Amino acid sequence: MLGYIGRRILATIPVMAVVGLFVFSLLYFAPGDPAAIIAGDQATPDDVARIRATLGLDRPFLVRFWEWSWQILHGDLGTSIFTNLPVTTMIGQRVQPTVSLMLVTLVFAIVVAVPLGVVAAWKAGSLIDRLVMGLAVMGFSVPVFVVGYVLAYVFALELGWLPVQGYTPIEQGLWPWLANLILPAVTLGLVYIALIARVTRATMLDVLSQDYVRTARAKGLSQGPVLFIHALKNAAVPIVTVIGIGIALLIGGAVVTETVFAIPGLGRLTVDAILRRDYPVIQGVVLLFSFVYVLVNLAIDLSYTLLDPRIRY
Amino acid sequence: MTATAAPYPDSARPTGLPPAEAAPKAPPPPGLAIAAPLPDVIPVRKRRGRVSTYMRRNPTIVVGGLLLLIVFLMAVLAPWLGTVDPTALAPAKRTRVPSAQYWFGTDMLGRDVYSRVVYGARVSLLVGFSVAFLASIAGLAVGLVSGMVRWLDGIVMRVVDGMMSIPPILLAVALMALTRGSVQNVIIAITIAEIPRVARLVRGVVLSLREQPYVEAAVTTGTRMPAIIWRHILPNTLAPMTVQATYICASAMITEAILSFIGAGVPPSTPSWGNIMAEGRALWQVKFYIILFPAIFLSMTVLAVNLVGDGLRDALDPRMAKDV
Amino acid sequence: MHRRTFLKGSAALGLAAPQIARPALAQGAKVLRFVPQANLANFDPIWGTQYVVRNAGTLVWDMLYGVDAQLNPQRQMVESEEVSGDKLTWTFRLRPGLTWHDGEPVQAKDVVASLTRWMARDPIGQMIRGIQDELAATDDRTFRWRLKKPFPKLLYALGKTNAPMALMMPERIAKTDPFTQITEYVGSGPMKFVRNEWVPGARAVFETFAGYKPRDEPNSWLAGGKRMLVDRVEWVIMPDAATASAALQNGEVDWWENPISDLVPLLRKNANLNVDIADPLGNVGSFRMNHLHPPFDNPKIRQAVMTAMSQEDYMRAIVGDDDSLWKKLPGFFTPGTPLYSEAGGANVGKGDIALGRKLLKEAGYKGEPVTCIVAQDQGITKAQGDITADLLKQMGFNVDFVATDWGTTGTRRTSKAPPSQGGWNMFHTWHAGADTINPAGYPAVRASGDKAWFGWPNIPPVETAIAEWFDAADLAAEKAAIDKVNAAAIEGVVYVPTGFFLGYQSWRKNVSGIVKGPIPFTWGVSKA
Repeated sequence: MLGYIGRRILATIPVMAVVGLFVFSLLYFAPGDPAAIIAGDQATPDDVARIRATLGLDRPFLVRFWEWSWQILHGDLGTSIFTNLPVTTMIGQRVQPTVSLMLVTLVFAIVVAVPLGVVAAWKAGSLIDRLVMGLAVMGFSVPVFVVGYVLAYVFALELGWLPVQGYTPIEQGLWPWLANLILPAVTLGLVYIALIARVTRATMLDVLSQDYVRTARAKGLSQGPVLFIHALKNAAVPIVTVIGIGIALLIGGAVVTETVFAIPGLGRLTVDAILRRDYPVIQGVVLLFSFVYVLVNLAIDLSYTLLDPRIRY
Repeated sequence: MTATAAPYPDSARPTGLPPAEAAPKAPPPPGLAIAAPLPDVIPVRKRRGRVSTYMRRNPTIVVGGLLLLIVFLMAVLAPWLGTVDPTALAPAKRTRVPSAQYWFGTDMLGRDVYSRVVYGARVSLLVGFSVAFLASIAGLAVGLVSGMVRWLDGIVMRVVDGMMSIPPILLAVALMALTRGSVQNVIIAITIAEIPRVARLVRGVVLSLREQPYVEAAVTTGTRMPAIIWRHILPNTLAPMTVQATYICASAMITEAILSFIGAGVPPSTPSWGNIMAEGRALWQVKFYIILFPAIFLSMTVLAVNLVGDGLRDALDPRMAKDV
Repeated sequence: MHRRTFLKGSAALGLAAPQIARPALAQGAKVLRFVPQANLANFDPIWGTQYVVRNAGTLVWDMLYGVDAQLNPQRQMVESEEVSGDKLTWTFRLRPGLTWHDGEPVQAKDVVASLTRWMARDPIGQMIRGIQDELAATDDRTFRWRLKKPFPKLLYALGKTNAPMALMMPERIAKTDPFTQITEYVGSGPMKFVRNEWVPGARAVFETFAGYKPRDEPNSWLAGGKRMLVDRVEWVIMPDAATASAALQNGEVDWWENPISDLVPLLRKNANLNVDIADPLGNVGSFRMNHLHPPFDNPKIRQAVMTAMSQEDYMRAIVGDDDSLWKKLPGFFTPGTPLYSEAGGANVGKGDIALGRKLLKEAGYKGEPVTCIVAQDQGITKAQGDITADLLKQMGFNVDFVATDWGTTGTRRTSKAPPSQGGWNMFHTWHAGADTINPAGYPAVRASGDKAWFGWPNIPPVETAIAEWFDAADLAAEKAAIDKVNAAAIEGVVYVPTGFFLGYQSWRKNVSGIVKGPIPFTWGVSKA
């Protein structure tokens, strides 16, 4: 088992190396001259040449890649072209809102989607099932920002129940923190809920048709415990898998949601950096998100043994 | 041929129908030898019920397909649907609410929103289908190579895993940062982001097929690789790839909208539903219609594609119902 | 157990970042939340000329002189000044008791270093440096400036609002190379910059400096006593106008620098908000053509475009349907100011495409492509860019529309290379009316070829007329010179003015003391 864990962890290294190569190539192939951008509006060609030499922009691809990788592994993600702050600092300032948003969305989505999927599977073929699956398909189809604007309009502007934008750190109180995150979490979570509900339903249907479920029912257990305890535990693996894969959706959606609700998180940082072609920041954020995504899925892989005793390594 | 030599097993014979031999026969006209009728094994279906039966059994495909057809026709017939030049500026008539003259109103530069939405269908459909097609082809190639050529498998899969670790929107956005916004570049960027998934899927099919006895038999008897691929592997990848392609199409349309929304997509000189919404987003509190109409059309189209995908999946392989 | 520890661990990791923690505010601390026109991405007001950097700079740094609402320079950090009889030597004495935010006293050597750095980047400063004999501190509170020629506009240069402003910094910071950004933000202004709460792209925070000694005179723009009536000012950067508007309506922010005009009716309807003109000096829209490369190296082609364009189209695209917000501008100087001129402006902006096409043919346009750079993330440039693209297409130009962002525009416009090799033919921008009042501090109207602003127009009559203005002895002479400048600049098409437009600002009713001006002056603003 430990050997398996070790091998899985080792397997993430080449994956991250590929991500690193891609991310590094971004700056390498980017049009425009980073030296000219850094030198500024009034610089002379000599200034630009001086900066090029300092940044080592003239050396071959592999050399620069190696040095850059070494730098990254020591935790230095470079310096932003536009703010001159280290990328790690800029990311550090924005981590809390994004992590808060993701956590709240995750919890909300799981708490809503899994029961929905279970109920849909239980009453397969009925009106409830069709309704849930219909809503799920619609959840996939409406773009994230439209949902965001509609929710903000109804709940923040018209009804005034929730704030329309911004982020309050948790140190200033649990409710203010949550209030700022409810609308964004619902907006972001809709697609996620659709995904999880569908997979939950499909997996539960599969499980419910298995023999051991029939045995449990035959033994006299009522619907409630049968469904939730026996069936769900067996359905857990695919559901948890899709939760992990779906985090990519969350990350992508966070970019838009943070813009709509003016949350000062990593998503907005990415958007601003893209528009300004602030390549070090783009690189840093893409690396970070990919790393987190890989870690989460690794953790999920490793958690299979906990979820399903039949899986042994 | 006698009626007693029934060529089919009993279970194929439908119940309720009398065996052919028991039917009373009219005397044949003189001089004419008539062959005994073949046994009625399969009842002739009434043609009338076929379409409605299909519709009843696969409502998702039908609804989705119809919607998609409507949008497709709208895109193709755009110049004849009461539209004006979607890029014609008329700043003196900006931000007019929907009226008889401007069915969907005008945007902040005076352009007719209705025309832009109708022409916008072209971009969204083009992006969706192009990405689905290109990503499928490229993913098929990569997956086949990876599945069939063992020593390349490890490397290729690492690269694919790496690309899959980058959330697709970030990947597309990062690629767009390298170039100028245009429909072409958007298609390329989103395609690159979607190839890994198809590649994985195809590789999975190839790997599972490689172990099948008939494939091994083909290899043993000396059938060359291209023939094996063509005859045995490709037909089996077709079904899952088609379903996956529809999902890619839907996802590409939404990704294009998001890219345009954050300013990294198609430039406004070519109307696309995404960039109509992006331009109108500053005014959503006062002129909601600029966002509303493209949003409705985009959602409808993506919904249609998703429904078709669901329907195809259910029809082609019920066992796939539990895969995502 | 693994599951729970994993979740707990990740939660702790995310929530423990201390940088974003806000300090517990003292009870009753007055906080003013302001939505600026753009993101404060960097903070060196000498190195960068962005308006938003300048506006923030006025909070943190102080100046020797400051212009009042009549644009007359008044003493600020200076207690008294003396000019020698031949007008070549200026002696300045600083006010006593001025301190930097870190507690050190302000000394003349700091001023000398700051002025030296400023002169390296500011166009008027460069002119002064060109005729400078010596600039030195004579004691802790006195410094002397010796020139080779009289420079009557010296005090105006020191107190002007156009960027870069002559802001005073401690010597150690002012000694930073003028082409490198400063990294320490210490000044002697009424507010301190709270560095560790700065999140570029999201927030910038300023706290009132207890050791600031405002002057006794009443305040008017940059002159007089700058009294802070709030304890803390937070700049909240909003990603788009819709979110800012919603936040203002909900009371989540107090003051918005530049609401877009389409949203103004909505804000006016709100009983809790005030809406008024932001700056009576307004703005001048512009697009600039590259005089170095075809097709715009041909003056007749430039004139064809200038004649065919319609200023109404441009203005409506920028400000919307409110006619009181814009005016036609057949020239380059701010309407409503003494030097405003319409000389030679008959052919500007006739809105006649057919005429334009004819002129274009006569000028001999050979179909060269026009690379038109349009920044999409600035409302003003985006709107202008869309109109221009349409105009050029209708005239028959071969247009290459490059949609990019403001930052990239800023870089690309510096390139003198041919458009096909990373250069450009046309880009859009705008100038605050405060910057276009006269040729001093107005680099965009200069036509000195290589040394001119981007586009590098080379039109000797313009430069001669500007020199005349600098030497003009009285207002009549100045006006005559400016008329000549205007006519010559139109003839040679230094740039094409797209019109004069005003903008709004909006604030909540419980905020008072907001004035109209080129800079959102935060002193004197209080919150109930």
